[in-house]
Amino acid sequence: MTHSSREAYKLELTELAREDGRILCLEADLGGKNHAFQAEHPDRFFNVGIAEAAGIDIAAGLAEAGFVPFFSTFASFAALRASESIKLAMGYMGKNIKIAAAYGGVSGGWFGTTHHCLEDIAVLQSFQHIRIVCPHGEAETRQAIREAAASPEPYYIRLARNDAFESLPREAGSSLRDVLYQGKDRPNARLCLVSVGEQATEICARIAAEDESLVHAHLAYVDSGSLKRVAPELRSVSSRFLVVEEHRGTGGTASYLALLLPDAEVYSHDCGHDWPIYGGSHADVLRDLGFGEDELRRQIAELGGSRHDRSA
Amino acid sequence: MTARTVEAIRREDVVPELEGKALEARSLIIDMAAAPTGCHIGGSLSVIDLLLAAYAVYGSDPASAIILSKGHSAAALYAALYVQGIMPDNPAESYGASGSLFTGHPNHKLPGIPFATGSLGHGVPYAAGWALAQRLKGTGGTGVVIGGDGELQEGLCWETAQIAQAKGISNFVYIVDCNGGQNDGLVQDISPLPQLRERFEAFGFRVRETDGHDYGAILSAIDVALAPGEEAGKPLAVLARTVKGKGVRAIEGNPEAHYAKIPAKTADKWKRSLT
Repeated sequence: MTHSSREAYKLELTELAREDGRILCLEADLGGKNHAFQAEHPDRFFNVGIAEAAGIDIAAGLAEAGFVPFFSTFASFAALRASESIKLAMGYMGKNIKIAAAYGGVSGGWFGTTHHCLEDIAVLQSFQHIRIVCPHGEAETRQAIREAAASPEPYYIRLARNDAFESLPREAGSSLRDVLYQGKDRPNARLCLVSVGEQATEICARIAAEDESLVHAHLAYVDSGSLKRVAPELRSVSSRFLVVEEHRGTGGTASYLALLLPDAEVYSHDCGHDWPIYGGSHADVLRDLGFGEDELRRQIAELGGSRHDRSA
Repeated sequence: MTARTVEAIRREDVVPELEGKALEARSLIIDMAAAPTGCHIGGSLSVIDLLLAAYAVYGSDPASAIILSKGHSAAALYAALYVQGIMPDNPAESYGASGSLFTGHPNHKLPGIPFATGSLGHGVPYAAGWALAQRLKGTGGTGVVIGGDGELQEGLCWETAQIAQAKGISNFVYIVDCNGGQNDGLVQDISPLPQLRERFEAFGFRVRETDGHDYGAILSAIDVALAPGEEAGKPLAVLARTVKGKGVRAIEGNPEAHYAKIPAKTADKWKRSLT
C-alpha cells in the first residue's frame, strides 16, 4: 500500500525516532487521532494546540538545547501564520527546526481558500538559508524526512493531503538534492519540463513519456541555495524551460530560475493569479485555476520550438 | 553548576555586589544613550535590576537560559552581560555604530545571547521551549524570560502561557517588567492590563508581585521557582513593579523617555547623579 506524503511523514519520523533520541514531534492540533509517533514515543510528542507561532518559537528553544524538533501543521498556517517566527528562528538564526507542512498548494480541495497555500514557496524562498523540499510520492517523502533529520539546517517540507503516489525511481544512494531526469539523453530537446511537487511531477512524467522532444527534470529541493546549485546543470541540458509548479507564478521556482538563467527562456505553468473559490477534488480546484494536464499540453504546444542546440 | 538559591546568594552577600554592578550598568546605558544613535533608555533603566538578579541566580548554570524578550532594552542586556563578565567588549564603545554587532535590538551573534529578540513576544515561547528541553533532558535547568508589560498585548505571550500550563512546564519563569510605559505612551491609556495577577493565575501560573528595583525582593520572588513547595508543577510569573528611567531623576517615570539621544554633557551629569 502506498501512503500519502503526510502519512508517510508520520511513519518515517516514528521509525527514525527509534534510533535518534533527539527527534521530537510537535503538532498544532492537526496531526489527527491515532498519530503513529504519539503512540510509539509519547514522551517526545507534543500537541502544542492551536498556536503555530508559539510552536515554532518553542521548537527554537528545543533545538538550541540539542533536540531536533519536527513541527507539523497545514502549510498555510505554518508558512503564513507563523511566518515571522520562521523568518527569525529558522532563517535568520538558523535554528535546527524542521517543518512538515501538509495541505500544500490546493491539496485541501473542497476545504476552501483558508486551507490552501499557493504562496508558501515564495515566502520561504525569501527567508534565506531554509531548505525547501517538495517531495513527490512516498519514497521521496520518506527520504526528505531522513535527509532533514540528518542535516543541521532548518527545513520546510511541503506535503499534500491524502493522495498517494509512487515516487519516480531514483538511483540507490542518491540525494534528493540531485535532479531526477526523464529523457536527459534526448538529443536537442525543444523544451525541458521542470516539475515541482506531486501533481506537477505526475503530469510531467506522463507527458514526457509520450513526447520524446521533451526532457523532464524533477526538482525536490527548491530553496534558493539548491536552485543556484542545480542551475548550471539544468542549463547544460536545455536552453528552454517550462517550470510546472502548484504555486503562484510570482515568487515561485520559475521566477528564481529565470534570475539564475538570464540567457535561457523560462516559462511557468502555475496556478495563476485567481483565488481558489470553488470546491471539488484537488484536481478540480487545480483545473479551476488553469493548472492541469490538458492545460499543460496546450501550453507546451503553444510554446512550440524546434529541437535546440543545447549550447545555444 | 546549577542555579544558586537565594539563601546561597544572601550567604555570599551578593546583594551589595549587585547594587554596585547596577550602578556600573546604568552608567553604561547612559553612555549608549549618548551614542550618535541614542537608545531605548527608559525601559533599559527599568529592567536592568531584573536582568542582574536573574543572572545572579541562573547565570552560572549552563542548563538555564535567560532571554530578554523586550528586546528594545538591548542596552540593558548588553550592559548586564558586560558587567557580569559574560561579554568581553564594552558595548558603549560602539553601540549602534557601522560594523558593530551591538545593534539596537539584541544580536544573537554576540556571546551570551542565544536568541535575537525585539519583535515582541517571541522570546517568551523560546524560553518555554528551552525549559521543556531541560525537563526532557533532566538537567534541572530553567528557562527564564524577561518581558515587558506592553509586550503582553502580543498574542504570543498568552499562547505560551496556555501551552506552559497545558504541558506543565514548571521550570519556566516569566518575569514582567511592569514599568507602565510603551512606545507611544502609557499602557493604561493604550491597552490596559487589568487584573494581571489574576490573568496569570488563571493560566495556571504561580504569581509573585515585587518591587523590581529591590534586589532582596526580586531574588525572593524568583526563588519560588527553585523552592516551589505546594505549587510545584506550575510555571512562575514574577510581576515586577518598576519605574521607567529608574536611577536618573530627570527622566524617572516619564513615558517620553522611552527612547533618548542625549549630549555627552548630559550623560556626564546623569551619571554623576545616579542613585
